[in-house]
Amino acid sequence: MSQSIKRSAPASPSSSQPLLKEPAFPIWLIVFLTLLLYAGAVYFDGHGSGFHPQVYAPYSSYTQLADLQITGPPNPLEIGFRVYHKPSCVSCHQASGAGSPGQFPPLVGSEWVQEPEPGRIIRAVLNGLQGPISVKNQQYNNAMVAWGGVFSDEEIAAVITYIRQNKDWGNNAPAVTADRVKAVREKIKGHPGPFTADELLKIPAAD
Amino acid sequence: MNYGPLVFLTAFVALSASWFGFVLTPQIQIGRLTESTNTLNTAELYPKARPGQAAQGLQVYRANGCAACHTQQTVQEGTSIDVYLLEVGTNAAAVATALVNANVGFTRIDDPGFFLNLPKNILPGTTIEAAKRAFKGAQSAGAKAQIRINPQGPDIARHWGVRGSVAADYLFDQPVMLGSQRVGPDLSNVGARLPDVNWHLLHLYAPQQVVKGSLMPPHRFLFNVSKAGQHPSPDALQVPPEVAPAPGYEVVPKPEALALAAYLVSLNSSTPVFETPMTLASSATSTNSPAK
Ligand code: HEC
Ligand code: HEC
Repeated sequence: MSQSIKRSAPASPSSSQPLLKEPAFPIWLIVFLTLLLYAGAVYFDGHGSGFHPQVYAPYSSYTQLADLQITGPPNPLEIGFRVYHKPSCVSCHQASGAGSPGQFPPLVGSEWVQEPEPGRIIRAVLNGLQGPISVKNQQYNNAMVAWGGVFSDEEIAAVITYIRQNKDWGNNAPAVTADRVKAVREKIKGHPGPFTADELLKIPAAD
Repeated sequence: MNYGPLVFLTAFVALSASWFGFVLTPQIQIGRLTESTNTLNTAELYPKARPGQAAQGLQVYRANGCAACHTQQTVQEGTSIDVYLLEVGTNAAAVATALVNANVGFTRIDDPGFFLNLPKNILPGTTIEAAKRAFKGAQSAGAKAQIRINPQGPDIARHWGVRGSVAADYLFDQPVMLGSQRVGPDLSNVGARLPDVNWHLLHLYAPQQVVKGSLMPPHRFLFNVSKAGQHPSPDALQVPPEVAPAPGYEVVPKPEALALAAYLVSLNSSTPVFETPMTLASSATSTNSPAK
């Protein structure tokens, strides 16, 4: 405060009104601000993507974003991975697929999982599985809930493909299609509740 | 001269302009945002509403000021595009020619080692145009290739998230717990890297027991320490001996703690969405790295 008084005091001792001999706002400042505004507008135009609500940094335009959408059939192994880790199967059979001894049977190297024809495990996953079962020569007697109501045909097919073809587990069996799951779903409409291992073994493998 | 009306008008214009810019326009743009199908599996909607307990947990999170130390917003600073060769097929020479003809920087491929150790990143950090050309070329020659799009940034390098956060991630949160300080790690994707409810309960009860040297304050008031009696509670927490209560007592999480843990586990923004394209790695990386 005191400073500004000091500064203005000696400026024009005679008159209280400053005289406007030259523009109060220097012309160079106007030019500079205009250029700054222009540069800002150009930057904004290049990076703002017209305020499109789906475009976030680091992307600067919708077309750039649309270009990065890799279309084409999604990889069932990736969908299967996500279904498996929903958390669904992972909570019992573990991320490693090893299950837990005496409680949850392994999917790694399981003869059920790797059957050339997937008809039986599609049934087990759709409707659930209970009662005694032998997996890799170990006996289990527990129950798995039904997943048919939780996941779509595509997701069931993807997760079964994932457990059948998981290279990290050493599994390698043919993929399962959503059509196959759909067909099995139709066939087991009349089957209430979970399957048992004995029941599954009676069903022809290719069914 | 009476400047009253002019001052009023100026203030009115300034305020209404900011209202248009900061309130009305965003409301028009994203106010009616709904779940949409994500880019990977078009049968699935994203985001999903949090289950009831987790929705209550949000209020516990809010009430305990977790947002003072934790953000829920990962930042993406760039995107790198790679082309992986998955399988060569039967005719490696044709694939080599196709890749050279795709004009993506290969002048000649005559090293037979090029096709060993697949899958292999043959075009790290390329452009999407080049990636698509290489992909088409490889495919037409009978090889299998994949374009992988990887979001980049310091938050992603720390495994705090797999992509940048977008508005849709917060669709069902009221209020949105963005946070502004990162004393602890970002939590926008904590459910994906730490999916175990018991981990969270123990971490809330005794952070230093779970993460050596943790600066996070223990939240013991979210737990009851009570006599175990004849019928120990099935919910009782398994605590390490250093922080265990007196013999005969047990640590039982209050409903708030259970809700909070359910909320933390539900924090998961790893679904690819249109706004942040990405290719999921086939195995999740789940490292638990505290803020450095
Ligand atoms: C609640 C725990 C639980 C979950 C979750 C679970 N399972 Fe199971 N699963 C079991 C049990 C228990 C058995 C053995 C049932 C029996 O004893 O008859 C089993 C058996 C199986 C079998 C046949 C036996 C084998 O090991 O090869 C397959 C295949 C299988 N489950 C796949 C899945 C898939 C796929 C999912 C996810 C969609 C899943 N399971 C989720 C508990 C579970
Ligand atoms: C004083 C600051 C502070 C407050 C308040 C705080 N935290 Fe933390 N939090 C930290 C720090 C520092 C770490 C990293 C060390 C660790 O993991 O314990 C952390 C780690 C975590 C982690 C593990 C994250 C990971 O990726 O390893 C979770 C989950 C978490 N906090 C949840 C909470 C919740 C829920 C609350 C509210 C009840 C909360 N925090 C309050 C500082 C805080």
